[in-house]
Amino acid sequence: MSDKEKKKAPIRYSPLDGLFKGRQGVLLGLFALFALFLAIFPLLPFASGFWLNTLTLILLLAAMAIGWNFIGGYTGYAAFGNVAFFGIGAYGTGLSMIRLGLGFFPSLMIGAVAAMVFAILIGLPILRLKGHYFAIATVAIATAMGEIADSWTSFTGGAAGITLPFFSPIEWSGQFFYYMAFLLAMGGLLLTWFILNRKMGYSWVAIREDEDAANMMGINTTWAKVMAFALSALMAGLAGGIYAYWKTFVLAEEVFKIEYTLQMILAAVLGGTGTIFGPFIGAFIYYILITLLVFFLPVGQLHATILGVIIILVMVFTPKGLMDFLSGKKKLSVNALLENIRTYRV
Amino acid sequence: MEREVILETQNATKHFGGLAAVEKVNMKIYKGEILGLIGPNGAGKTTFVNIITGMLPITAGKVYFKGQDITGWPAYKVGRLGIARTFQIVKPFRGMTVRENVAVGAMFGHGGHKRSPREALEHVDEIIEFVGMAHLRDKHADQLTLPYLKRLELAKALAMDPELLFLDEVMAGLNTKEIESAMELVRRINERGITILVIEHVMKAIVGVTQRVFVLNFGQELAQGTPHEVLNNPEVIQAYLGEKFVERFFRQQKAA
Repeated sequence: MSDKEKKKAPIRYSPLDGLFKGRQGVLLGLFALFALFLAIFPLLPFASGFWLNTLTLILLLAAMAIGWNFIGGYTGYAAFGNVAFFGIGAYGTGLSMIRLGLGFFPSLMIGAVAAMVFAILIGLPILRLKGHYFAIATVAIATAMGEIADSWTSFTGGAAGITLPFFSPIEWSGQFFYYMAFLLAMGGLLLTWFILNRKMGYSWVAIREDEDAANMMGINTTWAKVMAFALSALMAGLAGGIYAYWKTFVLAEEVFKIEYTLQMILAAVLGGTGTIFGPFIGAFIYYILITLLVFFLPVGQLHATILGVIIILVMVFTPKGLMDFLSGKKKLSVNALLENIRTYRV
Repeated sequence: MEREVILETQNATKHFGGLAAVEKVNMKIYKGEILGLIGPNGAGKTTFVNIITGMLPITAGKVYFKGQDITGWPAYKVGRLGIARTFQIVKPFRGMTVRENVAVGAMFGHGGHKRSPREALEHVDEIIEFVGMAHLRDKHADQLTLPYLKRLELAKALAMDPELLFLDEVMAGLNTKEIESAMELVRRINERGITILVIEHVMKAIVGVTQRVFVLNFGQELAQGTPHEVLNNPEVIQAYLGEKFVERFFRQQKAA
């Protein structure tokens, strides 16, 4: 045995180890700068209402994508109905404010807890399903929730929706909601990091890689999956509550829009599922892509088609998202792209 | 002297619709032994392990582990109690390194509740060395070759600190030399005080490592005894190779 082999490699304790060195360190530094920029953004002179508005939307999407990543990225369950949690969070917050006369923060908590409880209740039966069956069940539930909210007029206000009071003082409204979204997204990143260092994180990845083996090795897979689902509901529920108060209006066809689910999945996939920063970065990339497409192709629905093509290309060439290249795991080259096709057999 | 029974099944039965995959099997596994479980393809060997470990619900019958009734327990509880198994088709966690794969066993298996992830990651060094994979510990599982994947299965099961270990065809697909080192490994695991049930088609391995053999055929017990007794049992030979072969085989033996 040579000296090199004898020297023990340091133990990689968590997926984060090594993040503070080399290329990973540079990226983390860049991210810290970006986060700092976002933190002081509203104080900058060019921070107009338009930019605050756009960034609030992106950060809310990032928060939801980070939440989706728990169940879809780490646990590997293709959840296609996370908008249900967004909607429940929005309605829970709105109804608490209107019917119970509570302040925004207690109402937000009620909305988020309602989304989590709902996720636990539906998660217990449907997380037994796998693959397409689980995906279909989640779509069905999200659609059903939208219909219920729309039809249950006496409780939800039905098609008339519910109108919430404005945030006051109103001149700080933009900043307030921006910071709510910012804190939620950052909190989501911290939560991801916290979980990955714990047994819960290991059980999620183990379930994704092989659920039978995970189960046999002593992992209570039902509990772990339900937790992943509930935490992704928490993120979407909080985002929904913030969104409701921001827009001061909750309407079923708006907050249960299936597009929101697609957006969070796309953000996570573009950035990289099963990575900490992937969904966050993906949310920005998604918005930039959409904005560019709408700007250059204002004709009809053509931009949606182009977006679809871009998504297919991403799925084919970098199924693990851009984090695969950013993190230095792979060098961006034609060969790497072709290799991805072979590896993932798409 | 009465030997201590570590696992006992009473009339263990598994039906898939109308098909009886395992039918009223009574098996005793004694503490400290290496028991072989053999039988032709489709005899119900893996299904038998699946109903004991809770991977499949049992149709009828009872399973006792150290006197405790564990019939119908979910797999994760059985695993935490001290029963580990490997899978015939290897099931590595491909996105994890070898060390992380093994550490999952140390985190969630028998006694795992006492360990933090960090302690588990440190704890598994010895096990990785034991199965001869020290040089691969930071490799991702998807970079390993089949013999090492089989070893990884063993390491993952061992990290759970089991008292009883089911090895489901860990030697299938290995070459002669690899089989020999795998046999050696099984013996050394047994020396650590772990009771083992080996499912195997490689007869050399069965004869080489087991003290006792249990034969399943069409889901039912066909025979049990020492490897030598069982492998010379006409019924067993017939189950494997057919009636005509048995006649010829014994005619030749008489002639010789």
